Amino acid sequence: MGATLADGGDLEGAEVELSEHAQRNKAEWERAAVEYEEAGRRAWAGERPPNWGIWSIPESEVQALPEVDGKDLVELGCGTAYWSAWLARMGARPVGVDITDAQLANARRFMAEYGPEFPLIQASAEDVPLPDASFDIAFSEYGASIWCDPDLWLAEASRLLRPGGWLVFLCNGVLAVLADDPPNERQLVRDYFGMRRFEWPGEEGVDFHLGYGEWIRTLHAHGFELEDLIELQAPAEGPETRFEWINRAWAHRWPSEEIWKARKR
Amino acid sequence: MTSSSERNRLFWDRQSDEYQERHREFIGRPEPRWGMWQVPEAELQVLGDVAGKDVLELGCGAAQWGVLLAQQGARMVGLDNSARQLEHARERLAAADVDFPLVHAAAEEMPFPDASFDVVFCDHGALSFADPLVVVPEVARVLRPAGLLAFSHTTPFAWMCWDEESDHVVDRLVLDAFGLHRYEELDGSVGFNLPYGEWVRLFRGNGFAIEELIEIRPAEGAESTYQPPEDTAWARRWPMEEIWKVRKWS
Repeated sequence: MGATLADGGDLEGAEVELSEHAQRNKAEWERAAVEYEEAGRRAWAGERPPNWGIWSIPESEVQALPEVDGKDLVELGCGTAYWSAWLARMGARPVGVDITDAQLANARRFMAEYGPEFPLIQASAEDVPLPDASFDIAFSEYGASIWCDPDLWLAEASRLLRPGGWLVFLCNGVLAVLADDPPNERQLVRDYFGMRRFEWPGEEGVDFHLGYGEWIRTLHAHGFELEDLIELQAPAEGPETRFEWINRAWAHRWPSEEIWKARKR
Repeated sequence: MTSSSERNRLFWDRQSDEYQERHREFIGRPEPRWGMWQVPEAELQVLGDVAGKDVLELGCGAAQWGVLLAQQGARMVGLDNSARQLEHARERLAAADVDFPLVHAAAEEMPFPDASFDVVFCDHGALSFADPLVVVPEVARVLRPAGLLAFSHTTPFAWMCWDEESDHVVDRLVLDAFGLHRYEELDGSVGFNLPYGEWVRLFRGNGFAIEELIEIRPAEGAESTYQPPEDTAWARRWPMEEIWKVRKWS
């Protein structure tokens, strides 16, 4: 995989062989991109401030980001690149990486319409055609953080970061992954030990979720020191999301989403 | 003393004899072992070589761990909040013909100078029965640079699945994650825990680098004098016991 790139060959037309789950996730996101188009447009249009996850908790409250002003930042699995747009407006120099044509087409359209401009690259975050040690921050919100194999994308994030660089990513809370959907949302129906690769009935995609100890081990194995784990709490009041796997009352009591922060040694 | 350390002192003084009798053989074996299923330290490699190191056990009970580490060359100090537990410890030291200080104090108020230990550890000890928001800064104070804090405790996960009514862990979320901190047991003791992220912030905020979180999965049919078979079966699916390993930098 990626031998052409590793050899330093011409990136144009390089035949990169995708992993089986990457192919499936690309197909899933080519189909699902339309569902995320409007939220992306509103973010690019400045109608939504920088915010995290499905409960739209503002970054001004969460304060998960390190200093981004003037930093080189790569977003791994950027989708419509709404986070990169926010980060660019905060002074970062982002590069958005996504595997999906449809998502990137939306990103380019919003970029042309609203700005600012920054590079968008079509690639899997498991094999990124960008040079070593070229970024200060690697970022993912529901991108590589759940759709890529943790060992593969963390190896790439580590390679892309300069020493001391930050890794910030949001993924589903462990309990939310293991618990049943509403109305049985308090029932644990999946095992913690052995958790890693998940396939869900009726969905083409494959996602990845690790337990706490396994995240810490995997981060270490790829040269990261853990800095923070921010468990997001949904506010008690407000509308439900459009996602059937979660409800607000649960997410007010248990973390439905977690932000991991680590630094490259 | 805080109200929780007073209550836990009374609790441990009251139940010490019965506790030591019930677990005597299980936790009294000739090599160091961790936790509810007594997984060997030789397998987990948490503490490493302790020879020549100043080692503090926070909540040493009858000093089963301390005696073995002293025999490995550690300069041990055992602290416990219960005088009755320390009487059991003194008997054990005498029987093993080893000697080291046994200190009667609550972990929230440990009477040691700054930078006096290389290793601070406990096995279901003070980090379960004293407020970690107080104890972890104290551990940071008494550890030398590059010193190790390692402790086993019941996971936040198992706390959240604790069903007081049935007195068992259940396959259902019961207790909220947000706000997890202090729990008053029906037996009169007070337990402490934190959500995962708050543990991480507590360590980082006190200058600890997080080295490892070892989640213990007991072997199938593993014996325990602490857990009935049905709860051990739960612990095969979800983490009930874990060991944090963090190191002081700065």
